[in-house]
Amino acid sequence: MLLAAASLAAPVLAGIVYSVAASVGLVGAGATGHASMARVAYVLSERVSWASLLWTLGVSAVATTLATAGAVVVAVMFRDNTTMHRTGRLLASLPLPIPHVVAGALGLWSLSQSGMLARVAFALGVIAQPADMPALVYDHFGAGLALTLAWKEMAFLGVVATALLVTRGSAAEEAARTLGASARVAFRRVTWPLLWRGLAPAVVAVFVFVTGNYEVAALLAPSNPPALALLVAERAADADLSRRGDAYVASLLLLGIAVAAVAVHEWARARWEPLAP
Amino acid sequence: MAALVAAITSLGACGTGRELPAGQSAIDSLRGQSWDSVVARARGSEVVWRMWRGDRSINTYVDGWVAPQLQQRYGITLRAVEGQGPEIVNQLVIEREAGRRAGTASLLWINGETFANLRRERLLGGPWAGRLPNAAFVDSASPIIRRDFEQDPEGYESPWGRVQFALIYDTLRTPRPPRNVAELGAWIRAHPGRFTFDQGFTGTTFQKIMLYALNGGAEHFAGGFDSTRYVGGRDRLWAWLDSLRPFLWRRGETYPTDVAAVHRLFANNEIDWSMSNNENDVIAKARQGILPVTAKPLLLQDGTIANAHYVGIPFNAPNAAGAMVVANFLLSPEAQLEKQRPDVWADGTVLDVSRLPAEWRARFSALAVDPRALPRDSLARYAVPEVSPRYHERLTADWLAHIRAGVPVAR
Repeated sequence: MLLAAASLAAPVLAGIVYSVAASVGLVGAGATGHASMARVAYVLSERVSWASLLWTLGVSAVATTLATAGAVVVAVMFRDNTTMHRTGRLLASLPLPIPHVVAGALGLWSLSQSGMLARVAFALGVIAQPADMPALVYDHFGAGLALTLAWKEMAFLGVVATALLVTRGSAAEEAARTLGASARVAFRRVTWPLLWRGLAPAVVAVFVFVTGNYEVAALLAPSNPPALALLVAERAADADLSRRGDAYVASLLLLGIAVAAVAVHEWARARWEPLAP
Repeated sequence: MAALVAAITSLGACGTGRELPAGQSAIDSLRGQSWDSVVARARGSEVVWRMWRGDRSINTYVDGWVAPQLQQRYGITLRAVEGQGPEIVNQLVIEREAGRRAGTASLLWINGETFANLRRERLLGGPWAGRLPNAAFVDSASPIIRRDFEQDPEGYESPWGRVQFALIYDTLRTPRPPRNVAELGAWIRAHPGRFTFDQGFTGTTFQKIMLYALNGGAEHFAGGFDSTRYVGGRDRLWAWLDSLRPFLWRRGETYPTDVAAVHRLFANNEIDWSMSNNENDVIAKARQGILPVTAKPLLLQDGTIANAHYVGIPFNAPNAAGAMVVANFLLSPEAQLEKQRPDVWADGTVLDVSRLPAEWRARFSALAVDPRALPRDSLARYAVPEVSPRYHERLTADWLAHIRAGVPVAR
């Protein structure tokens, strides 16, 4: 068992060791061969690093929240075994097999100032030229990026949420309703607590994934501030070899976010689901 | 830590096939051999060519014409794979760290700062370019070809094509386009939100052209990187760009990632201008339906940058002989002529056509010219050379810092 776990962790640990070594200039393009904290200090002192980190966290949080809300709505609305509910679940899960880069292209195709939405608005006489359309891609708030990621990830979370509700059945909610609880109260006091504890690991996984996502951000994110994954790629491709170490420092920041998200989840789980005696 | 990293990187060194003695590049093993021996050694082999694969015309030329020709003439299987600029440098550094003396690619498409970085890191094999029989036809008198961003190739890369930067406009939307930098600035002010440039290589080239124009020409920056001249020139450039910023697309708050995004904005009528490092790119893209058929290239009279692109052989090429044969074929009159056809790629030749046999001179002269193409004398008149790659590197990094307001830029 321990060997299996070590085999799984080995490539990740090797990547971390390499990233740390490259961050201090021991390996990689432009490496000096002498350990130095210069690149680490430089990246951590740069305003753009922190702006990128905060912006990325914000967009990821919004996208994950929207995806989770959508998934819960799908799970609650289409939980029965009727044809209509099965069709609803199928339609909601359709984005699942779509690659992220295609989802990004669809976001661009739909939301840009010359995209489908803009063309419909133009046909209806709402706008007269592309610039009249609100900027939803390459925008400062990352609206198009958050919406596209939410749409893509909602399918995955919807499948998880639906599976949770379908397997647990509706007996508990029905009992609450029989005892006089309103639909809203039954959802808040019975359905939601059942749902969120099962959904939380998937939500954390989605948050970590969208935070590090490159391809959708490359298609939809603004140049300022840069999404953290784009900052990593930008520094990894810097013509100045002495700055390549910056990419590894920034990628370690991404790793830090992932570790922190998992730690918060473990802490919450330990708090709300204490070990049985 | 160092031991652990060494252990990790050395994992990839196992079982790499043909290996070379330490300290020797793949090309060294061919030194002293006749060209016929090189060809004989290359026959029936595979050559992996790491190159930019982002353009349909180029891919079609390489996969659909060059590869079959090589197979037919030399039995060489050419396999073009994705990889450009910094990716090539990163890949080779990793292969070196992993102890892989036989690498993954035998030929690289490079120029400018990539060549500078590869040379700095000693990742190229050579010299070899002077040994190619077709090198005798190269237009070695042209400063654009003889120097790669002011660097002497020293036989470590062989020229393959030449291009010149051009703005792209739509003759229907902009019937009277600006002809110089001052007029371009006035046009941008008069048409808010209809002009932008990208954060990538093409956008930086556009900035370099403006840098030259606003600072007395390319000569001001010639002769290697000069920090004082750079900072002075850069500040004048940014004063000009900052004055235009409110009139740029999205008020200059964001910029497209790459030139493909600029083409898309132009084609979708979000902006009125695009640009390309290849003056004929617009013709190929209009034929493919990517850009409007009424789009045309435009040279600014202040001068536009012309440069050449090259192929290099990495220090750990698994098939250096095959790579040399491919490089020689790419320099052949037939390959250069095919590449220059407007319906193929429309990439300029690096050959001095006057040195070719009469038959080939006639074929080059008879080459169909698209009516939208820029006249050769205009291209020659307004061509300005590249300067040290350090200018490109600094401008790229400093511009990103500059637009991300509040970030101090090193002086």
